[in-house]
Amino acid sequence: MSLKAFKRALWLYHINTGSCNGCDIEILATLTPRYDVERFGIVLVGSPRHADVLLVTGPVSRQMAPRLKRVYEQVPDPKVVLQVGSCGMEGGVFYESYNLVGPVDQIIPVDVYVPGCPPRPEAIIEGVVNVWVKLEKAAEQRIT
Amino acid sequence: MATLGFGLDFWDPIVWVSAFVGVMAMAHFFRSRGQKKYKKGTAQTQIFLSGEEVPEAERRHIKAHNIYWGFFQALKGYYDPTIKAHTGIINDYIIWFTAIAAATAVILFIVG
Repeated sequence: MSLKAFKRALWLYHINTGSCNGCDIEILATLTPRYDVERFGIVLVGSPRHADVLLVTGPVSRQMAPRLKRVYEQVPDPKVVLQVGSCGMEGGVFYESYNLVGPVDQIIPVDVYVPGCPPRPEAIIEGVVNVWVKLEKAAEQRIT
Repeated sequence: MATLGFGLDFWDPIVWVSAFVGVMAMAHFFRSRGQKKYKKGTAQTQIFLSGEEVPEAERRHIKAHNIYWGFFQALKGYYDPTIKAHTGIINDYIIWFTAIAAATAVILFIVG
């Protein structure tokens, strides 16, 4: 699929909502020379206001829920949420923990899920590609 | 308009104004290329504080007192009694003033 409507680099903002850091390490692995996703313009940015995609890891602890909502609201439209890791999908190793209010899709709408504990970098990159396709379709609809 | 010379250097108002206008034009160009789709009046236009609630503008500053924490901690022996002495009650200040004036008068009387 070629990009016709969303013709710019894909910027992601990563938020950790209580992850064990396993997924975060795999996300960083996608930036290392072995995978080097930055050569395709896929960049982690420091503010949700600059991002096209909200990348969420972790099962959402009670303290992080309002912060996750606030960060989601700060991403400009059209926005897409990429959720990485099993714990953000159904609790994972934190299942039935006393301080969880997740999974992520109970707090904010999620567009693409990447399961795994942690998922491999290849799986995360595939998730990013799916996110990019969603943004392309959203941009196409806006144009036509 | 004259060009001022400083040996190998010079200052010319035309050059300075041209450079200023050039830089402003570049700044305007880069700014106009930025994201325009922020919805006004929503969280999208609020400042980003790592997901924390954004306080009112007048409560948003960092108090300068925090910067001096180490200074006050190191000079605690001096600051603790002096801060206690500054009660904010005018009667206390008058007592201090009267006592020190009396002590000075006594010293001056003795010394001659």
